[in-house]
Order: sequence, then structure tokens, then C-alpha cells
Amino acid sequence: MASDPIQALLGSFREEIGRGVSTRGEFERLKGRFLGREKGLVPELFARLKTLPPGERGAFGARANAAKTEIEEAVRRLGAELERREAASRDRAAAVDVTLPGRRPRRGGLHPITVVRRRIEDIFLRMGYSIADGPELENDFHNFEALNFPPEHPARDAQDTLLVDRPAASPLLLRTHTSPVQIREMRKHGAPLRLIVPGRVYRKDEVDATHSPVFHQVEGLVVDHGISMADLKGTIAAFLEALFGKGTKTRFIPTFFPFVEPGVDVSMTCIFCRGDGCPKCKGSGWIEIMGAGMVHPRVLQGVAIDPEEYTGFAFGLGIDRVALLKYGFPDLRLLFEGDERFLAQFAGEA
Amino acid sequence: MKFSLDWLDDFVDVEAAGGVDGVRRLLDRAGIPIESVERRAEDAILEAEITPNRPDAMGHRGLAREIAAMAGRPMREFAARYAEPEGSGDTTEQLTSIVIQVPHLCRRFGARLVLGTEGRPATEIVRRRLAAVGAKPISAAVDATNYALWDTGQPLHAFDFDRLAGGLLIVRRARRGERLVTLDGVERALESSDIVVADAERPVSLAGIMGGLDTAVTDATRNVLLEAAWWDPATVRRTARRLGLHTDASHRFERGADIDAIPGALNLAARLLLEAAGGAVAPGLLDAQGKLFRIRRTALRLSRLRLLSGDERIGLDFAEEALVRLGFSTERKGRRISVSIPLFRADVRREDDLVEEVLRVWGYDRLPSRLPASASAGSVQEPLREVEDRLSDAAAAAGLFETVNYPFVDRTADEELWADWLRLTESAPEPLPLANPLDASRRHLRATLLPGLLDAAARNLRRGASGVGLFEVGRSFGAAGQSDHPESYESRRFAFALAGERRSHWSFPEKLRPADFFDARGVVERLLEPWVAPKDLRWKPARVAALTEGAGALVRTAAGELLGLAGLVSGAERERRGLAVPVFAGEILVGAIPSGAKPFHFRELSTMPAITADLSLTHPMDLTWEELSAFVVGRNLAHLESFHCLDRYEGPGVEGGKIKTTIRLTFRAVDRTLEQEKVNSEVRRLAAELSALPGVAFGA
Repeated sequence: MASDPIQALLGSFREEIGRGVSTRGEFERLKGRFLGREKGLVPELFARLKTLPPGERGAFGARANAAKTEIEEAVRRLGAELERREAASRDRAAAVDVTLPGRRPRRGGLHPITVVRRRIEDIFLRMGYSIADGPELENDFHNFEALNFPPEHPARDAQDTLLVDRPAASPLLLRTHTSPVQIREMRKHGAPLRLIVPGRVYRKDEVDATHSPVFHQVEGLVVDHGISMADLKGTIAAFLEALFGKGTKTRFIPTFFPFVEPGVDVSMTCIFCRGDGCPKCKGSGWIEIMGAGMVHPRVLQGVAIDPEEYTGFAFGLGIDRVALLKYGFPDLRLLFEGDERFLAQFAGEA
Repeated sequence: MKFSLDWLDDFVDVEAAGGVDGVRRLLDRAGIPIESVERRAEDAILEAEITPNRPDAMGHRGLAREIAAMAGRPMREFAARYAEPEGSGDTTEQLTSIVIQVPHLCRRFGARLVLGTEGRPATEIVRRRLAAVGAKPISAAVDATNYALWDTGQPLHAFDFDRLAGGLLIVRRARRGERLVTLDGVERALESSDIVVADAERPVSLAGIMGGLDTAVTDATRNVLLEAAWWDPATVRRTARRLGLHTDASHRFERGADIDAIPGALNLAARLLLEAAGGAVAPGLLDAQGKLFRIRRTALRLSRLRLLSGDERIGLDFAEEALVRLGFSTERKGRRISVSIPLFRADVRREDDLVEEVLRVWGYDRLPSRLPASASAGSVQEPLREVEDRLSDAAAAAGLFETVNYPFVDRTADEELWADWLRLTESAPEPLPLANPLDASRRHLRATLLPGLLDAAARNLRRGASGVGLFEVGRSFGAAGQSDHPESYESRRFAFALAGERRSHWSFPEKLRPADFFDARGVVERLLEPWVAPKDLRWKPARVAALTEGAGALVRTAAGELLGLAGLVSGAERERRGLAVPVFAGEILVGAIPSGAKPFHFRELSTMPAITADLSLTHPMDLTWEELSAFVVGRNLAHLESFHCLDRYEGPGVEGGKIKTTIRLTFRAVDRTLEQEKVNSEVRRLAAELSALPGVAFGA
């Protein structure tokens, strides 16, 4: 008996598809051989329909359609499977060693002094302080006299001054602290007042690990009705806790600065031992961090603010020292060498 | 300053005050922190830090007073220690005399004579205690004066009485040309501003600072004149500083000695000398007086005490007791205390000083703590600071690292090649020198930040960096200010330097492009963008020796205000700064930036497609892009949205002296799709008009 062409076609297809395909080329050849519009075996089957007697056409057509559906469906599945395999292989080619470093956009960074200064500014801006500024080249009047440093007073010894060689009624100098800006701001604005002054200051210090002729301070000044030592204590405690972290305690001991009365040395919990005592704090658990006090009435009078009506507090701290404590680098000179390897370490801090 | 606990115990019961640790805590509270403690078998040595306002605590008696006051304990009875020793023979007044010619500068001068002593060492206890505080035992006479100094805080001096010409002392100004060999063997030239103690013939002591060698006591000295005086602090300080002398005596006199301590200190020293070296004390203290001090009285109000402390718990009873313990005399008058200030507390002058005294005893730690209640007026930033911060942020984002450089330079070595730039900024026709520079070879203040920044760049390259990008925000200084306005000498600057390779990643496949002028200009454009749009900056070639000719430019606002400069650092300047590789650098005058907010208006976005057209032309090199783009703008091409320089080429195929520029033009209509033909005709029109310019050609 002549073999059934539909059965033969299906048998051949099932055999071929059973072998599977490994490449897109094999798949396309398979698909073309059976389903190709021109010479495909399935269209050929339907072409044969016309050669059949009309009575057989219905049954043959139905079976041919069923075979076509089966073949098309199988080819579609095979195609999808191939597609998946190809995608997986493409993905494999895109795989990388994810432990290699990322391509970070290049960036520079702010100097550690700037990083610390901005932290400090942020803290005081949130407390409603303004940020003021003054010249680094000052005169004796603003730097000393108006701050109640009499001429020929030993208090000037602590601030060995770089003098500018230029005649002036009040001798010109590089400011030894940011406090002269207190005078400038009070003269300009009067009371009340609430401000900080970050800035660069100069002293005639030889350069070594802990000394530099150039360093940085932040000055603070609040003048208002009823300002007391209690306000100073609260402000400094809040500030140091914000800067050095919760649990940072502060301690006030009396000291002398000509422009405040009473004057205070502020110590805080040693950040190295958290107060247990270590070599860095000489076993005391405390480290000195800033100076402060109530604005001296003579200073207020000098800027035409009535000390009976207004009182105020002032404080000052060294930014360089804070940076040194916070980041634990051993030598102040690193701040002034401009070595990118040092500077780059702070790029993530800003 | 060193103190012996054993010595302090003469004045206050240190055991009852808590021993070493208790004393340390009490002195912390007093504001006299103990830096270190050295424990010995029978003693402990305290290293105390004493602020310059507290000369009264620079002796054991004074420090003990602080301990007693803080501990709330009485002082021990010590009157006998300073009592007049029993004398014999001629009185001091019969044997010698004192004349004070400068009564305001020497307000009291006391003398005692111990006659017939033998050259013996001081007693064991005196030597031990002096050694404990770091004073080397020398002889009975010298040690007696030193002991009295460390005991009372009052400096003394011992003369060999037989070497004093005329047997008398005169306190006077030095005469110009007078000389004195001081105890340290150095001959000092004196000036009329110095005060000396002289005998009938010559100066024998530099008042308050150091005695003379000629009249010093030696082992052979038999008759000793002990002297103690009060000297004017400012005068002592001026002379001591001029001569570079700093002694135990000058340290105390500069800060203000206790005029009342003079008799007791002399009595103590005389008795110690007598005990150790024998002899006899001449009866009577010779006590010459200059202009005497008046006892000051100041009122302390309860209201002021509570206002400054912020502590409502402190009352006048406490205040009065604290003041009395510290040596003040008080009188209650209702809600105030009238206080007499002892002469040893020259630092206490006004009411707020008394508040501090009371609060020291009260303890700063006991004061309440709160935030100021007053409403804030809102915070404002000094405007240029904000500009500087924004410049720094932009520079950091552009890959540069911030530096801080010292402003000390030498004008010739560091700034000579920048002279044209300095002249343009009008900041520094001449350098501004320091009178007392740290380093004589760098005595000028910088007039530009650039040399310092280039030095920092060179340091990085020397240390092996393959590239470097730095900036600094700081001030430069010039001599053109007005002396009564110090701020007028300053100019606020921003500077940057870029050098070498700037590799940012391990695998960047593209070729590294060396930095060029446009990197430097781009930095400036990006930095200034918040205030001046790049198109509103005007760049003109600069002639500054420190920049390469043709690769340096000045930048101004459209209105002509100078903003800064940028360019390739010249070979000559690189050699000076030790830079082996090309470096680009620039400086911005921060104060010149028009820092008011730049007007900004939103521009409608078109959803219509754009048509671009590229136009390449060959033209002479001296036709600048600025001129070319002005020409393009001047043609008013219909629907031209923007254009930019796409490429520049010189080389094979382009005639020498000429350059080929490709301009990319973008056309767009807001409301409809443009027709290609309309764009083409505009581009043709532009090309035709450009062709009319001298030397301009299209095609290869």
C-alpha cells in the first residue's frame, strides 16, 4: 500500500525534531524544510489536495491541517527554546567580575579644614546664628585694644603676632584670632547679635607637628538681654554633642582671656577613651577643646553697647585641632602640604 | 610653675583638703589646672598652669589661699613666719639709704641688712624645697631670696653690701650709654626707658629683671643687703623683651606683684639667711615709698550675680563668704555687698570680676545649662563666603582638591613673573612686607595665590603623582590699602592648577588626552556659571610672563570688569616652581564676581523636530571664534536655535596660516516642522556672506 503522505511527513518531522537543533542555522533549515512557503513539505501537502478526488479532499484536508498545526506548534516551541538559549548565551558574554571596582565619576574634594568648618557652620545655622567675616589683615585696635588687651600686657605673649611693616595709626598685623570680628560686628550692628565667625588666623609660631603659623578658628558671639553663663553652658554642650556625637560631656573651668569675664576653658569627654583616662588625655578623661566666657563689660562699652542692658557670651575654638582630633592624623603640617593622597581621604566626608 | 605639696601644707592642711587628688580637683575648679604631679617620698610636686592675670598665685602662700577658699577651709596661722626678726646693732636706716626718683614706676622699695654672715649653704629644708620647685640651691643668701620668692610670690634680690658705692641705693631711669653686666655675665646696653637700681656711681641692678654681677653676693660676702620692691609691669616688660630676658622676677613683676608682700618677704629672707649663715640682722626695715595705691572698693549686686550666672540659687551669704575666704573684705548693704579689693588682686577691678570670684568658689559645673531663649533674627551669611563656598563645591565636583597654603613669599622669587597680572588687579604695586617674618627669605605677604598653589602641585609631582588638580580659596595682600582700613589691603581670591595625567579608572579604554587651555577655561566657565553665563564671559589673550604667550587669557564680564585669568603656565615659571610637566592654572577675583542672582527665565520647550546642518570653512587663524560667532549671530538666520564649534583642524590639506572650522547649526521652529529646503537656503545664505570675508573659503 502506498504510504500515507501525512503520516510519512509527521514521522519524518518527529524524527528530525527529536534530534533537536543546536544553532539558529539548523533551526532555520528545519523550519524551511517543513514550513517554507515555496518548497516546504507542509505547503506541498496542501498543494497535493487539489490532485485528490473531491470525495477524499475533506478528510485529507482535515488531517493535513492537524499535521500542520502540530508542526507549527513544535517549530514555535523549538524557536522559543532556541531564543532562550541564545539569550542566555548573550548574557553569559556580558558577565563581568563584579568584585572589580566601579567606574566612579572623578571628583576632587574639600580640604579637611573646610569639611570641619562647614559641619560647625551647619550646627550653628540650625541654632539661628549668622555667619560673619572679617579681614585677616587687621590692626592692633581690633585685634587687641578693643578686646581689652592693654599695651605691654603679658596676655599678648600667648599670641605672638606677625606685624605688617607699614606705618599706621593703629599698627597693622595679621590677626591672631577671629575675635576682632566681634568688635567689627558689634560696631556695625549693635545688639542683639548672634553670630559665628570662621576664619584663618596667624601667629609667629615655627612650623612643627603641633604648631603652624597659619591656622583656623571659629568665633561665636551672642549678645542679648539676659544672656548668662547658663546659656553659654547649654550652647556649648549642644554644639559639642552635635560635633563629636551623643554622650559627649563638657566641663567648664575658670581661666583668663582679657575680653571675657568670667572666662572659661571648656573640656570635653576624651574622644579616644570616652572618659576612662588614656595617654592622650593624660589620664584625666577630659581634653581641652575651646575657650569661652561672658563678654567683658569694657568690650561692650567700647562698642557703645550698655553692659547693664545687654550681656553676652563669646567662644572660640581651633578648627585644625578639631580636624586633628576627629580624623586622628598625627601632624598638623599635613594640612598645609597640599598632598592629594592626604586630601583625597576626606573626599567622602564633605 | 612648680609647687611642693609639703610647702603648701605650711599654709593649708592638704590632708584635710583631700591630699594630692583633692588639691588637684580644687585647683581645677579655681582655674589653676595641674598639668602633672610628680609623687616623691615625703612630697608631691605639682606643675600648675597659672594664667597671666594671677601673679598672686605664683607663690606657695597665694596658691594655698586658693586651695583653702575652694575647700572651704581656714588657712593655717602663719603670721610668725613673716614677723620681724630680732635685730641688733645699728639700724638699717643708720647704715644705708634709698632714694626713689621714679615714684610711679617704683611704688615701694624695701631693704634689710644682714651683717657678718659666713659663706655657708642654706639649711637643708630650704635647699630641699627649692630643688623641688626647680630652683638650683646656690648659697645661703641667694637661696634665702629665692625661698622667699617661692613662698610669698615677691621677688627679692641680695646685694653684697660692701660693693655698693656709697652704701646707698638710688632708683632711677638708666642714662643713655650706661652699661651693666648682669648676673648671667652679659653686658647690657641700657636705654633711658629702663629703670635701674644704682649705687652712688653706677647701675647695680636691672630693676625687676636681674641684678648686676659686680655687686652680687659671693662666698666671700659678709654683709648682705636684701631688697624687695614693686615695679611697674609695663616698664619691666618692655625692658625684658628688648633685652630678651625672662626671669622668675620679671615674670611676676610683668604681671603685677603684691606691694603688701614686701616687708614679710624681706623678714622671711633675713631670718633664713641668719639661720643658715649666722651674723646679725640690723634692726628695722628700710621702707621707701613711691606713689602708693589706694584700696579699691566695688559693689557686687545680687541682681548682677544672678544675671551673669543664670543661677537663681546663688545668694549673697554664699558670695560674701567666698569673697572673704579669697582675701577680700566685705560689707553687706541690702541686696549688694561693698567689697574692698586686696592689693594682691590687681586683676579684680569691677563687679563682673567679683562675680567670677564667687562663681569660681561656687563651681562652674554647678551652674544650670540651657539654650538662649531670645528669638533669633534669622541667620544671614556674609555674601562673599557663600560665593567662596559655591566656587569650592564646583571645583571639588570638577575633580580638584582644596589646599591651604602659607601666604609668606618673596616678591622677587615667587611673584616676579606674575607682575603683569598683579598690575592688572591693582592690588600690589609693591609687596607688603612683615616687620618680623618667621623666615627672612619669605618676608612678603602673597599678592596672588598662584605661586603657592603651583608649589603644592610640584610637591605632588615630585612625590610620584602622575597628575594633580588643586585649588585654594584665600586672601592675597597688597600695599595699596589705606592704613586706617586694614581690610582694604586684602583681595579675596580663588585659584586652581591642573597638571599631568588625570586618570580616574583602572580600565578607561579611551586614550588619555593631555589637559589643554580649554580645560582651564572650562573650569573657569563652570565655576562662574552661577553668576555669569559662559556666553557672557569675554576672553582676551593675556600677556603675563608666567603664562605661555598665546595660551593665556584674561576673562572679563561683558561690562568689562576683570574677573580673572587662566592659561598654560610658561616654561620660565615652571622652571622656577620646579614643574616638569605642562600645568594649567587660573585665578579668579572673588570680589569682582557680580554675585547678585543671575536673572533666570524658563524657555519654552519645542516638541518640533530640529534640523542640523554642518558648515566647514577654511579661514585665516586670526579670525577668532568670537568674531566668527558674532558674524553668524549677525546674519539673523531664520529659526536658528543654536550653533557651536564642532571641530577645528589645521594640517595637511589646509593652507598654512589657515584653519578649518566646522560649525554645527541647529534650526527649529517652535510651532511647526521646518522644511529642509528652508534650512538649506539659510545655510547657503550664511555661506555666501561668510565667503565675502577676507581669506574665507569653503571646501578643502
